[in-house]
Amino acid sequence: MKTFHLTVARIGENLFDEEVVSVSLPGIEGTFQILAGHEPFVSLLTAGTVHIKNANGQGHSFETPKEGVAEISYSQATVLL
Amino acid sequence: MALKDIKSKIKATERTHKVTRAMEAVSAVKMRKTQSTALAGRPYARAALAILARLSGSADIIRHPLAHAREVKKVALVILTSDKGLAGALNSGVIKAAAEYLGKLPVSSNNVTVYAYGKKGEEYFARRGYRVAHAYENKKDSVEPSVMEELVAELSREFAKETYDEVSVVYSNFKSTFEQLPAVRRLLPLSLPAVEQLVKDIVPVKGKWSELAVIESPAAYSVEPDGAGVLEYLVPRLVAISLYHFLLESKASEHSARMVAMKNASDKSEEVAHDLTRLFNKIRQAGITREVSEIVGGREALATQ
Repeated sequence: MKTFHLTVARIGENLFDEEVVSVSLPGIEGTFQILAGHEPFVSLLTAGTVHIKNANGQGHSFETPKEGVAEISYSQATVLL
Repeated sequence: MALKDIKSKIKATERTHKVTRAMEAVSAVKMRKTQSTALAGRPYARAALAILARLSGSADIIRHPLAHAREVKKVALVILTSDKGLAGALNSGVIKAAAEYLGKLPVSSNNVTVYAYGKKGEEYFARRGYRVAHAYENKKDSVEPSVMEELVAELSREFAKETYDEVSVVYSNFKSTFEQLPAVRRLLPLSLPAVEQLVKDIVPVKGKWSELAVIESPAAYSVEPDGAGVLEYLVPRLVAISLYHFLLESKASEHSARMVAMKNASDKSEEVAHDLTRLFNKIRQAGITREVSEIVGGREALATQ
């Protein structure tokens, strides 16, 4: 499966930095899922859970605090909590 | 000097050497730790900046209260120094840069408010009659995010209320282990070039983390909910990360300046101990030679009788 690079960061701390297959994010206008090749996209996040599936098929999840922002470009995505 | 005195002096020098060596090693470890923390903050700053740069075409950023530039009448100065000395010219350099900056400002010292992080800066400005709004201790080896958040919240609030028209930070910029330069940077109003400079600054000149990855961003994003909403979220965070980064830089500088100072002290004490040992041996040998010649002289005198 096609993968892309995902970074999840908090100020002063890198929480996650790996190749992943998919990530689902609690967007301010509803939960959405990102796969490789998604169009460039910026969204504010709200409180919820980030679900990640990495290249080996393992799952990870992070709780988001009350807000955050996600930036997605063709080959990589960054989630700021 | 008597032999016994020299011997005790050598012992004392060796003990000092042990202490400075230990301090050097400790500072080296702390420096590495702070440096890696500084770099861990980089993806955040880089991504926030990339988003901001793409969105700023809309000119919304200029209208944000924290990015609003106006005529400078009242200034807040954040000075980052260490609490403790034994770090070479680190603090005096920062204080000198701060004094120079204040001297160039078009406002009088009554309109300057100082926020001191670290005792050395606080002492200097309090002694010279500046208003020190808040003094933080800088005792811990790492930077506390809670202190940074508190400071950022206060500065942003006062800036938005127009209590200050400009907020600057004086800190020691970590270039490499042997080079730390005092720097003055504007924190508020926020500007894009300043943040870009910051992302570049996070990379030290040389060493393990000196390679710089290229920032790639697509030309246009679709944005949810809208540009203004994202800016509302990002701008205060960029201010926070700027300040956090300045704190980390000055921490890394403190540890490396101390490491270098302690290394110099260790080298010097080694040299002193070496010289003293030479002196000790010389005097001891002189004593032995004298005793031998006395014995020989005495023997000769006895033989001729």
